[in-house]
Amino acid sequence: MLSIRNLHAEVEGKQILKGINLEINRGEIHAIMGPNGSGKSSLASVLAGRENYTVTQGEIIFEGQDLLEMAPEVRAREGIFLAFQYPVEIPGVSNITFLKTAVNEMRAYKGLPPMEARDFLKYTKEKQQLVSFDANLMNRSLNEGFSGGEKKRNEILQLAMLEPKLSILDETDSGLDIDALRIVSNGVNKLRNSDNAFVMITHYQRLLEYIVPDFVHVLYNGQIVKTGTKELALELEEKGYDWLKEAYHLKESV
Amino acid sequence: MKNSNDIIDDIASKEYEFGFTTDIEMEIAPKGLSEDTIRFISAKKNEPEWLLQWRLKAYAAFLKMKMPAWQHFDMPQIDFQNVSYYAAPKQKKQLNSLDEVDPELLATFAKLGIPLNEQKMMTGVAVDAVFDSVSVATTYKGKLKELGIIFCSFGEAVQEHPELVKQYLGSVVPHSDNIFAALNAAVFSDGSFVYIPKGVRSPMELSTYFRINAENTGQFERTLIIADDDAYVSYLEGCTAPQRDENQLHAAVVEIVTLERAEVKYSTVQNWYPGDKDGKGGIYNFVTKRGICRGAHSKISWTQVETGSSITWKYPSVILQGDHSQGEFYSVAVTRNRQIADTGTKMIHMGKNTRSRIISKGISAGHGDNSYRGLVKIGPRAQSARNFTQCDSLLIGDQCGAHTFPYIESRNNTATVEHEATTSKIGEDQIFYLNARGIDTEKAVALIVNGYAKEVLNQLPMEFAVEAQKLLSITLEGSVG
Amino acid sequence: MTNEVTTPFYNYIVDGFPGFLDATPGNFLPLREEAFTRFKTLGLPTTKAEDWRYTNVQLFLKDPFTFSPVAGTVTETQLAPASIVGLDAYRVVLVNGHFQENLSTLPAIKGVTIEPLAAAATRPLVQEHLGQHIHLQDQPFAALNTALFTGGLFIEVAANVIVDKPIYLLNVYTTTHKNAFIQPRNLWIIHTNAALEIVESVLDLSDNGIVLVNGVTETIVKENAEFSHYNLQMAAKDGRYIHYTATEQEQYSRYHHFNFTLPAASFTRNNLSVALHGNYTESNMLGLYVANDAQHVDNHTFVDHLRPNCNSNELYKGVLLDSAKAVFTGRIHVNQIAQKTNAFQQNSNLLLSDKADINSQPQLEIYADDVKCSHGFTVGQFNQEALFYLRSRGIGEEAARNMLVGAFAYDITDQVKIPAVQDYIISHIEESIVIN
Repeated sequence: MLSIRNLHAEVEGKQILKGINLEINRGEIHAIMGPNGSGKSSLASVLAGRENYTVTQGEIIFEGQDLLEMAPEVRAREGIFLAFQYPVEIPGVSNITFLKTAVNEMRAYKGLPPMEARDFLKYTKEKQQLVSFDANLMNRSLNEGFSGGEKKRNEILQLAMLEPKLSILDETDSGLDIDALRIVSNGVNKLRNSDNAFVMITHYQRLLEYIVPDFVHVLYNGQIVKTGTKELALELEEKGYDWLKEAYHLKESV
Repeated sequence: MKNSNDIIDDIASKEYEFGFTTDIEMEIAPKGLSEDTIRFISAKKNEPEWLLQWRLKAYAAFLKMKMPAWQHFDMPQIDFQNVSYYAAPKQKKQLNSLDEVDPELLATFAKLGIPLNEQKMMTGVAVDAVFDSVSVATTYKGKLKELGIIFCSFGEAVQEHPELVKQYLGSVVPHSDNIFAALNAAVFSDGSFVYIPKGVRSPMELSTYFRINAENTGQFERTLIIADDDAYVSYLEGCTAPQRDENQLHAAVVEIVTLERAEVKYSTVQNWYPGDKDGKGGIYNFVTKRGICRGAHSKISWTQVETGSSITWKYPSVILQGDHSQGEFYSVAVTRNRQIADTGTKMIHMGKNTRSRIISKGISAGHGDNSYRGLVKIGPRAQSARNFTQCDSLLIGDQCGAHTFPYIESRNNTATVEHEATTSKIGEDQIFYLNARGIDTEKAVALIVNGYAKEVLNQLPMEFAVEAQKLLSITLEGSVG
Repeated sequence: MTNEVTTPFYNYIVDGFPGFLDATPGNFLPLREEAFTRFKTLGLPTTKAEDWRYTNVQLFLKDPFTFSPVAGTVTETQLAPASIVGLDAYRVVLVNGHFQENLSTLPAIKGVTIEPLAAAATRPLVQEHLGQHIHLQDQPFAALNTALFTGGLFIEVAANVIVDKPIYLLNVYTTTHKNAFIQPRNLWIIHTNAALEIVESVLDLSDNGIVLVNGVTETIVKENAEFSHYNLQMAAKDGRYIHYTATEQEQYSRYHHFNFTLPAASFTRNNLSVALHGNYTESNMLGLYVANDAQHVDNHTFVDHLRPNCNSNELYKGVLLDSAKAVFTGRIHVNQIAQKTNAFQQNSNLLLSDKADINSQPQLEIYADDVKCSHGFTVGQFNQEALFYLRSRGIGEEAARNMLVGAFAYDITDQVKIPAVQDYIISHIEESIVIN
């Protein structure tokens, strides 16, 4: 589904990603872990098409197409979804209007007519239940005054409604209490199937207890320095990142 | 607690501390303004012909100009013919060292808290002392010279460094900028000159202390500061004048130029005689101060504490020409009795990524009238320029006025400009709270006002900050909200 | 003292004055003559005048104009473009300032008077108030209107009368092969405990000619009365509109003024002056300007807090596209006795083109100490993070920008209390913001 090959990217002239290679197939869940500043969120930003990132080398092929050539909205319509680490507040745009616009833009891209108001309402209600999203938040301005947990749940609600092929969850677990984490994880588990794929960016092993990954990658200094299975996450929880950093620097200095 | 009448009485009864006069033999030019006056001054200063011509050009411009009418007060009628444009303490010969300065002058400055005697000097501060029209002494010159820093009176700079003066004089404030700047250009008699060479950070604060002493004279000093590439200097200015019933005109010009990555920090504590409680006498402080950040990544920062003068009319400004350059303006202005302040700044963004910050705190008491007036201009090429402005006004009593007149002009859609202004009074609950902790009302007001002005006072160099804090407390003594 | 700036337009007015002046007895002759003298003293402003610093009005007065044409014939079908879908309202149509009874539907409510100002000229109330609420001394255009107004509307709502539906006041301008200079004059009085809503709009039907409109509206909102005024300025291209709205509020009254300036009149200058003559009043002044092409929109507002315990709340927002220019000057004046004043003012702008300009002067003039007054100004672009967020959800760049403009305007549009008018405005905003 997604092939990242030798990806180098910089932001404001600073090299952040230094040769990422990653293959993601449908039905898979990948976890990306790593210490602060290792480039995890930058990778998510590059995938979603944030404009201040410049790809200097390498390529990203998504479903046989060059992802880097696409505008952010085209990537979204092709099936890439980024759950933001810090969802943006947009006063004056109601959550429901926003969702309706997004859903209908996606449909238009697929050549489908806009959803009837009644169908849309039904569809929304169904998805809302999936992530236990408070219906009262639907008519409020987008994310404005939402609690941290409400914002994250809103991200997963959007994920549910837009039905992407590849979802990237950028530290969706940060700032969530245990109940909210369970709700969000349950939502993701219900949404996963053999056709879609997930990339979870996280600091903590905790999330991976709820959403079990097929692969765990450790990102350090803009590169994937180790890949393993969920056991690797446990090992990291126990030993921290220092042993990997040391190994990396040892290799670098040779 | 005192009632408001007591408060006004209290404020009024507060004496101006620096109102004494110095008895010294002076050479004073006869009153009047003409080309001859200008030639007289120029000759006195033994100036080159080009400078005289520049003065005369300014005078011609002055004659054509009208008094400004946009300020928030009625501009007083000023009889420019009834002013003497040159007053200097008589001196017998060229001074070779500070020890030769007239003891009467040394005593005057000592009384003002500015000892010019090397042993008693403030450590870390070099002082140029200006008495009426002339600079009488400059301290620490030798030490600065070793670093290549030029710090001397303007007159001396004209003699010793004519090429620098010629290159930069009028380059920031043109001779015809406004009527008072034109007058200054025509008749300025002295002032300070600073040049910081490439890569030098001045190890001490440089400062000028201005003293008006003579009667019926105006003071027209001119300061020029140039910071070459990567240079840094912090410059301080203080001023006082005797208590007199007539208004006296002070029309100074300050020009600052910063080249690549240079930084100049200019601080003023202005305490000219403010006039009495009925508004009689006091200094008309009509000053043009402007800096240009010519070099990329350079910075000019103005900090002012304005407590004196019967009328203050000044807008220290920064032209942000170099890309990534920065301008700052921090101001506390206090008006009481019948004082008027119309002050603020102009930030002219020309270069890319230029930034400016304006923090203005106005305090009005008695019948004082305090206006912030500021321009933020974003030129078409000022990509991603940013400005933040905050203007707060504090009113003490219901006879005063506090006004805010910002002008914002944006010609670039990538720029961000934010302006906020608020008006408030000292809360009775705040005073009561402090009273309840055993702090009397006067101290409480001083505490609250100093807290209110803190963001600005923090910008001042240490020695000045302490002085300024005291000055604020004294100025507002007895003024309870 | 007479002004020093003479232009063809100025000369045309001054030379033509004796002929233009309607000397019908009882037609406010002394007031008109005094105002004209004032106008001659002030002259037409240049950018040297502080009030016109950022607006060179001379540019819009260069074309030759013909003084006050009479009403042309307008048919119901011609009014269609100005209809507001779903608006249940009475309707008053003025053509070139002149009242058109055949096109109007007036409320049949006792205590509501709606008639041409000329017809009301002899009423003592009109004699008492006309020209008394404007600052003639420093407003040349208001002075010119006072001297030479023709047409306009007198509205009076008697005490305790609540007008059940809004009045849709449609100003139609017609001119053929000639540029027209039109000066309507309104006087509206809402008596104690009464309530009125007016939705005012413009329809420019001029054919091969430019209209220059210089209007004045004086309104008195008496004790505990409530008046809502929605002013929709979305006139045709080339039109030039200068309007002075002066409102006086008495105690406990409530005044809501909405000003929407949307494309495409080439020049709009609004002066809104609200004088708070009673205690405990409430004033809301909301403005939205969306300008494209080379439009010039200038809003001057003045709130005069003359009495204690009044609240005023002012929010003007602007969206500028292409080479549009906007000016905002908002002045809050708090009199020495106006203690316990709450006055809030904000001007926010979105600059969506590298050729657009904004000049803003939010001003506070405070003479009372126990007050809460603040003003703020912002200018910037779209929040890039918000734009990216919307795009990352599959919303195209243009749609995302439109959404953000709608969101920016929401603070204002949300306050519109008549749903049909709200929908009408929102759809017009959407049409206006095609970003090139």
